[in-house]
Amino acid sequence: MVLVLLLCGGVGSQVQGEPLQISIVKEGAKKDSVSLSGLRASGPNGQLFVQTLTRDLELSGWFKVSTGREGTITVVGGLLETGSGLQTSTKVTWPGKNFNWARNAASKAEVRQAAHTLADEMVKQIKNETGMASSRIVFINRRGSNNGDVYVCDADGGSMFQVTHDSAGVIGPLWGINRNDILYTSLKPGYPTLLRQTIGGSRRPLASFKGLNTGGAFSPDQRRIALILSYQGNAELYVLDLGTSKVTRMTTTPSGAESSPCWSPDGKSIAYVSDRDKAPHVYVVDVATRVSKRLTYKGSQNVNPSWSCKDKICYATLRNGIFQIAMMSPSGDGSSELISGQPEGSEDPSWAPNGRHIICSARNTLYILDSLGDPAVRLIQSSGNWRSPDWSK
Amino acid sequence: MMNSRMMIANIALVCGLLMVGTGCESWWGGDETSDTPGITDVPNVIGEDGKNITGTRFEDTCKKVEGITLAPVYFAFDSYALAPSETAKIEQVAKHLLANESHVLVVEGHCDARGSAEYNLALGENRAQAIRGHLVNLGVDGNRLQTRSFGSEKPAMAGSGEAVWKMNRRGEFALYQK
Repeated sequence: MVLVLLLCGGVGSQVQGEPLQISIVKEGAKKDSVSLSGLRASGPNGQLFVQTLTRDLELSGWFKVSTGREGTITVVGGLLETGSGLQTSTKVTWPGKNFNWARNAASKAEVRQAAHTLADEMVKQIKNETGMASSRIVFINRRGSNNGDVYVCDADGGSMFQVTHDSAGVIGPLWGINRNDILYTSLKPGYPTLLRQTIGGSRRPLASFKGLNTGGAFSPDQRRIALILSYQGNAELYVLDLGTSKVTRMTTTPSGAESSPCWSPDGKSIAYVSDRDKAPHVYVVDVATRVSKRLTYKGSQNVNPSWSCKDKICYATLRNGIFQIAMMSPSGDGSSELISGQPEGSEDPSWAPNGRHIICSARNTLYILDSLGDPAVRLIQSSGNWRSPDWSK
Repeated sequence: MMNSRMMIANIALVCGLLMVGTGCESWWGGDETSDTPGITDVPNVIGEDGKNITGTRFEDTCKKVEGITLAPVYFAFDSYALAPSETAKIEQVAKHLLANESHVLVVEGHCDARGSAEYNLALGENRAQAIRGHLVNLGVDGNRLQTRSFGSEKPAMAGSGEAVWKMNRRGEFALYQK
């Protein structure tokens, strides 16, 4: 993104009256160059490892992988094919520092996991930041009317897996307590039911009361779930305590519907959407006092909040008839910033575990946005109607 | 009566643990061959009044009544206010329920395709609740009225543009035999 400021008048040695042009180029975070030419890949699994690591390092936003031997950071070592898997033994070196890293992988899936782990380790050791390569994304393929299913993939878009086979309406999948645990609202029984499922395993209803059962956001301490119920007659935000199996009502809005709860990183607050002031906007409730505060005023609709580990809330804002992704401070100071470089019509944002990147849906597919200014990256290449992504934390 | 699987589910819920492995693959409609049990399979949850949240869904326990058409109620964009032009349709529904004591009703709320799917699910529920509230005001026993929302998942008409959207922002009625 290039911002051009035109200033008139006597500045420095400029000829008086001639405009002074200052260009501020926002091109994302500065990237360190990494050379992987010292990784000796002799077979297909070794190549898969290098390919996966290369893409992970590029997606991390902190590194640029060079094709040659030159690099501020070098990764050297051996990648030994072991039939179906790979033995890796590497050394990562950067000015004044290094670490050794070794891993055995028994299958292609484990080879990819190993590369993800090394990428995250490099982000942690070299940049002192949280990596995202080992995280996963859950999302929906909406094929048509009342016809969708839940899918998951790795943060690089690979290892896609279809979780449900319902061909039924499905809404708002969210991660549970780990990267195999998801919650989502299914319309398969003919009414909204909140389900909890182990990926590749069993599932069970978590809430299936009269009326609405949706939401399903786990608190950071994993002891509570924020959910939207209407068993008392109106859609409201509740917190289910898993220790006592008791629900506590957080909102009382006879003329409003609540949706899309998400927790603050400290577990003390929940951001959510309510239309108590006519149009849907983002609010935040203090869980202890149950006092709510409205956070968004700009835009005709503000929906789908996601709260990052770096204490920023991103959300979809409808401005001039087009949805865009913005972020704001949860303090409610009214300031918001649109994420640069996003595709038109971006919706459904969810923060990456690094608190820097955002997954969102646009043009029937998923994109990774960068709050530091790197261009958007299309995550899913295959055709479908990919929606409602949630990034594991 | 609580069956053993349900007890296991309760224990898992209380502990916040995941059910992994045997014994529970088939107890919710996870594939085309299994049946779809209803409310009794949901782990107990205690409401604000200290009592278990109860309530059986008409869809799971009653037989659907076929052959009676009740006209859909339409809504303005982003609204669940009942327009004066629509209330006569709700009065017809009330009349039917007051004349047919064995019938119970599920009011179904829908939205057009625009906006957040999560918000639309809540908006659809409030549309259904608005109709339900009006039916109660007209003298129908609230115990005979339930709601369900399909959000924007089940449009009456495919496509886009106001002519399509206005047909999709609606409340529908499903009668069941008690």
